[in-house]
Amino acid sequence: MSKDVTEHSEDASESPEAEAGKSLVARIMSTPPRLGTVPESAALIIMLAAMIIFFGTQADYFFSYDNFVNILQIIAPVGIIAMPATLLLVAGQVDLSVGSAAGLVGMMMAIAQTATDHLVTSYGMGLGLIGAIFVGIATMLVVGAVNSFFITGLGLNSIITTLGTLAVFRGLTRVLGEGQTVRMNKFGGLGGSRPFWNIPLGVIIFAGVVLLFVLILRYTVYGRAMYAIGASPEAARLSGIRVRRYITYGFFLSGIMVGLAAMIRLSQIGSQSINTGLGWELEVLTAVILGGASLTGGRGTILGTVLALLVLGVLRNGLIQMNIHAFWVEVARGVMLLVAVTVDRIRVRFTSVDT
Amino acid sequence: MIRSEQPILSARGIRKSFGGVEVLYGVDLDAHGGSVLALLGENGAGKSTLVKIASGVYTADEGTIKIGEEEFHSLTSREARELGIAIISQEFQDASTLSVAENICLGDLPTKAGFVIWKEAHRRASEILSNLEVDISTKKIVGDLRLGERQIIEIARALSRDAKLLILDEPTAALSFHEAEILFGFIRRLRAECVALVYITHRLDEVELIADQVQVLRDGSTALLADTSDVGRPEMVEAMIGRRAAELGRPSLALAAKGTVLDWHEAGHSDLFNDISMQVHSGEVVALYGKLGSGAAEVAETAFGLRDLQSGSLKVKGYDTPPGHAIEAVRYGVGFLPAERKTAGGFMIRPVAENVSSASWKRLARFGFWITSKSESVAYQRWHDKLSIRSRNDPKQVMGTLSGGNQQKVLLARWLECESDVLVLVEPTRGVDVGAREDIYQALLDLAEEGVGILIVTSDYEEAFQAADRVYVMARGALVATLEGDEVTTSSLLQLAGG
Repeated sequence: MSKDVTEHSEDASESPEAEAGKSLVARIMSTPPRLGTVPESAALIIMLAAMIIFFGTQADYFFSYDNFVNILQIIAPVGIIAMPATLLLVAGQVDLSVGSAAGLVGMMMAIAQTATDHLVTSYGMGLGLIGAIFVGIATMLVVGAVNSFFITGLGLNSIITTLGTLAVFRGLTRVLGEGQTVRMNKFGGLGGSRPFWNIPLGVIIFAGVVLLFVLILRYTVYGRAMYAIGASPEAARLSGIRVRRYITYGFFLSGIMVGLAAMIRLSQIGSQSINTGLGWELEVLTAVILGGASLTGGRGTILGTVLALLVLGVLRNGLIQMNIHAFWVEVARGVMLLVAVTVDRIRVRFTSVDT
Repeated sequence: MIRSEQPILSARGIRKSFGGVEVLYGVDLDAHGGSVLALLGENGAGKSTLVKIASGVYTADEGTIKIGEEEFHSLTSREARELGIAIISQEFQDASTLSVAENICLGDLPTKAGFVIWKEAHRRASEILSNLEVDISTKKIVGDLRLGERQIIEIARALSRDAKLLILDEPTAALSFHEAEILFGFIRRLRAECVALVYITHRLDEVELIADQVQVLRDGSTALLADTSDVGRPEMVEAMIGRRAAELGRPSLALAAKGTVLDWHEAGHSDLFNDISMQVHSGEVVALYGKLGSGAAEVAETAFGLRDLQSGSLKVKGYDTPPGHAIEAVRYGVGFLPAERKTAGGFMIRPVAENVSSASWKRLARFGFWITSKSESVAYQRWHDKLSIRSRNDPKQVMGTLSGGNQQKVLLARWLECESDVLVLVEPTRGVDVGAREDIYQALLDLAEEGVGILIVTSDYEEAFQAADRVYVMARGALVATLEGDEVTTSSLLQLAGG
């Protein structure tokens, strides 16, 4: 027998399947362009452009400055929440409580503002506008604290924990609102004012949050660590990364951004319904996954999420302008989520290497 | 001996190659009823491949398998099972959340009109277990059992299908000494019932204990086939290693070792290990050699804060308190490579540059938090040439696309970038090809020369022989020997750890 063969037989008989798999993957990976790195943003940009052109030809009012501003204004609250959601999913964590938490923050602010006798609910606090803002801030910190207590303190799964707090926060919102819509006075500035170019303040804040999270994910040790945690929590721990602390920060960031979004929405509408924020968690997750963040963690970009938010916002706006019933918009969004998850699956299959 | 004259299974001229690499070159295998055949060989000698062919898991490229009167060119695992060939592999293949009875009757639960007759299932299971003379409740959940008991349940399952030939692939690798004893008891009982047994192992003591015949595979061919009573350990070792022993080189002795960086003193942890006293100095490569389950990996984990000591002490670089967790260990300047490179070592879907810098991000970052891809790339380039990492030399290349050996080099670079001067490496070359293995050993020697203290934990005697200045040998939770310089020979290592 030749010496050459002798040496090679070492590994081959250890795990022949792995060997065969490796060479296959190696072949795929070495053929440019590589599937894992190219498609998500490119596909989204093409999709977005196609939609804009399509709706532009179908709906008269679609191609106007005001309409685009309008689209941005509508996506701003959900978009703000989608930023920390991207950060969390990059680390393999999911926060499903965002919609309910937004409802709770808004409701706490509304009932904090005026005294009981002016209100439809018996929980009024009469603290005035400034007091209400403080109550809102306190509430969003409590939201972050509760979620991270269960997830990093007790080590529970984030999906299950936030499924629980989703119900708790929504229930509390309904209890405090007593089933009613509660008015919020003198708080129109955040959602209504347009400091320049007719752009609403909410949209400007959204842009600021996007920038902040781009910097966090791309240029900070914290952002790098979140990718590492998502790619392998165990390997992250063994590199001396403070896994639990960093995930805790993530849930606090989520709570804070949820609070900010709730305030903008409350300001836009001027009153707080018990159903404000209902279903936001699905809109957020759809955007984040469509934007290329992997459900298994370790992958995802803010740019991708923002593009996905635009795709979803344009889709909804365009369909409504074409006088398609809102129920169908719901269907379209669900289909988008399925497409997003399928694409994620395919991408993982093509890029998951040799495990 | 009530050995059957006609073999129950007889394989002739088995050849097999994977992806163009030949693993078996015309090997024969005969399994007689009432006889235990020990199949011995190094990692990669072809043992597992051979028995997988005999049980229909793989199909041979050439050769025939005769079971009873039937002759097969391509045996399927279904046919093998129906003809009474059962294989128990190294990894458990049970349903760990189900009960003992369900596991034993798995795939063959007694039913009536589509409903399971639980009474019958438990009766059948307890009948088999009592035949084996073990007392395990059929209602227990398999995942709650001890490893040895689980192994027994696997055997019981195989027997529930009236196995005529039972193949055991390194069954004692994860068992305690006592559990192994119980297993040997079974094997003897099964032999008395005229079942044929093929027993894969690399423990020589076990061969002498239970095997009637021994067949040694080396590089895909049979190197020795004899009755156990006719051969001694040295002959078996020689057959296993062959001329390879001469090819392996020992490292040139390190310079006079300097300060002690890791110092265990009578360290113990319940039943995992006890009374471990050993030292690693800066400037030397020390191996802690022991089979799986010997406790060697667990001892190493204490140096990185992954496991506490319950008795005794561990000094790391002179500090009295050992690190309490990984973060502290990193701060002490200790680096650690886990055995599970792909799940606990690397970030497989992330770029190599990130993999190199992950332990040093804070130092690489401006103001402690502002980091750019560029500084990571610089860190990667620093080690790319020094460790001769074979890649596209693109810092953005995804870690998972590198070969195992190069992944390991990247992980080594992670700790070098972090300026760790104590390295604890668990199974550093498992699944790494020969060429990259040499590179890694060379890199370790170079590092030792620069003053790094290195502890290699390995279950591969060749590794201990090739890479270490000094070898501690562990077996069943205790240190059994310390070998230095010329005392380190492959046969001494094999014999010491096997006992």
